[in-house]
Amino acid sequence: MTDQIQKAADRLWEASQTGTACAPVRDLIGDMDISAAYQVQDINTERMLAAGKRIIGRKTGLTAKAVQQQLGVDQPDYGILFDDMDISLGQEIPVSRVLQPKVEAEIAFILGDDLNSDRLTTADIMSSVEYAVAAIEVVGSRIAGWDIGIHDTIADNASSGVFVLGDQPHKLENVDLRLCGMVMERRGDPISVGAGIACLGSPIAATLWLANIMATAGRPLRKGDVVLSGALGPMANVEPGDAVTTRINGLGTVSAFFS
Amino acid sequence: MSTIEEYAEIVDEAQRTATAIAQLTTTNPELSVDDAYAIQKVSVARRIARGEKRIGIKMGLTSRAKMQQVGVDQAAWGRLTDAMILEEGGTLKKSNFVHPRLEPEVVFLLNKRLSGTVTELEAMSAVEAIAPAMELIDSRYENFKFTLSDVIADNTSSSGLVIGAWRSPDVDFQNLGMVMFVNGRPVQIGSSAAILGHPVRSLVMAAKMVAQSGESLEPGDIVMAGGATAAHAVSVGETISLEVQHLGSVSISVEE
Repeated sequence: MTDQIQKAADRLWEASQTGTACAPVRDLIGDMDISAAYQVQDINTERMLAAGKRIIGRKTGLTAKAVQQQLGVDQPDYGILFDDMDISLGQEIPVSRVLQPKVEAEIAFILGDDLNSDRLTTADIMSSVEYAVAAIEVVGSRIAGWDIGIHDTIADNASSGVFVLGDQPHKLENVDLRLCGMVMERRGDPISVGAGIACLGSPIAATLWLANIMATAGRPLRKGDVVLSGALGPMANVEPGDAVTTRINGLGTVSAFFS
Repeated sequence: MSTIEEYAEIVDEAQRTATAIAQLTTTNPELSVDDAYAIQKVSVARRIARGEKRIGIKMGLTSRAKMQQVGVDQAAWGRLTDAMILEEGGTLKKSNFVHPRLEPEVVFLLNKRLSGTVTELEAMSAVEAIAPAMELIDSRYENFKFTLSDVIADNTSSSGLVIGAWRSPDVDFQNLGMVMFVNGRPVQIGSSAAILGHPVRSLVMAAKMVAQSGESLEPGDIVMAGGATAAHAVSVGETISLEVQHLGSVSISVEE
């Protein structure tokens, strides 16, 4: 079993290092518990850390009911954000940077406190959020053709890629997290629309789930961490040359540019 | 080949008796968009002759989600009458319709005449009030299947309106979260930005499209801006509500 987990991690690591998408890993770990997929993810997290990268936050994925149903699960998943995934607003993202890139519009939270407990509450999350900010997550998949099941995406660090944060951080009391409208546009054409409630009922709920899970897993969320809380609308495809702009009502605008 | 009047009678009777019909383009594939608007005009005139009053227009197929749902690629408009108004907070009788669906919208009330090419500024300054609304759409065609000409001839599936409390338009309504709930749980989630990027563009387009038919939008008219998400097919026993950021909510229940 450990052997299968190691093989899955090796397959994904090689894909990320060579830039060549690989076969799914569910043939290796698909009949195991979800925790096996997180063990795969963890092996490659350790490799990233050994390569000198720093953990700067987390992402939650599968926060939309429709996406959960599609993958046959009833809970979200998470992935690790490393320092080199942070793309400054206005910088071009080379398409080679993320394998099979797609974009999602999200609310990011910047934490002002450690969340070092596995018995956290909604109130703990609200009082620990320093800022909310509009974000574009560029997701990617090391697995060819995005042919993913739940084990594949978790093992692949929740299909993470890079992200761009907007530059208008807001305090929570100024944001309608549930009903804020979201639109993502490419050349003026709305390619994804939604609202805050699409993220697990509220982006705070998604963050609470994440914070408790991370504390249990021994990598608790820390002051200064970035949390990409989950998509507010469907993911959309991007092509080289695209400029994608997301507006979240009350949180301003954020853009991603693909060279 | 049937005449415009004959087609108008077919779609009007289908609406009046809540009976599904075959697509007009099945027997007449050549039916043009212009023919279709002519049929719509005559069929709605039949309703007016029966005592209904014109209250404004609706824009349809103004969002990508709607275009994909019904398989057409351009916007269309239809005529609204007072007989279509459903009581907000009340009930609708499903048996009065063929296969009714509700969709989340915003609606404008005008205080100036608009016709032809107008700017967004002119359109905005003609808006007296704005409200959250749901439109009950009910294609009279079997299986809700149609071409652009079919749906226009059928008054763009227009069947009912649920309109919430009006408020001043001094709110930025470009990107309002819009969530439709069935029995309290969210089923459709979108934004007013789904309506052509900004609902005021729908009003600008409405002024242009009615002018092409030699008509105008008049003071006192309402304009339904178009659906912000895919429509929800209603079932008996459901209570369906829409919540629009900053604009409030509307609700209706479905009975036999």
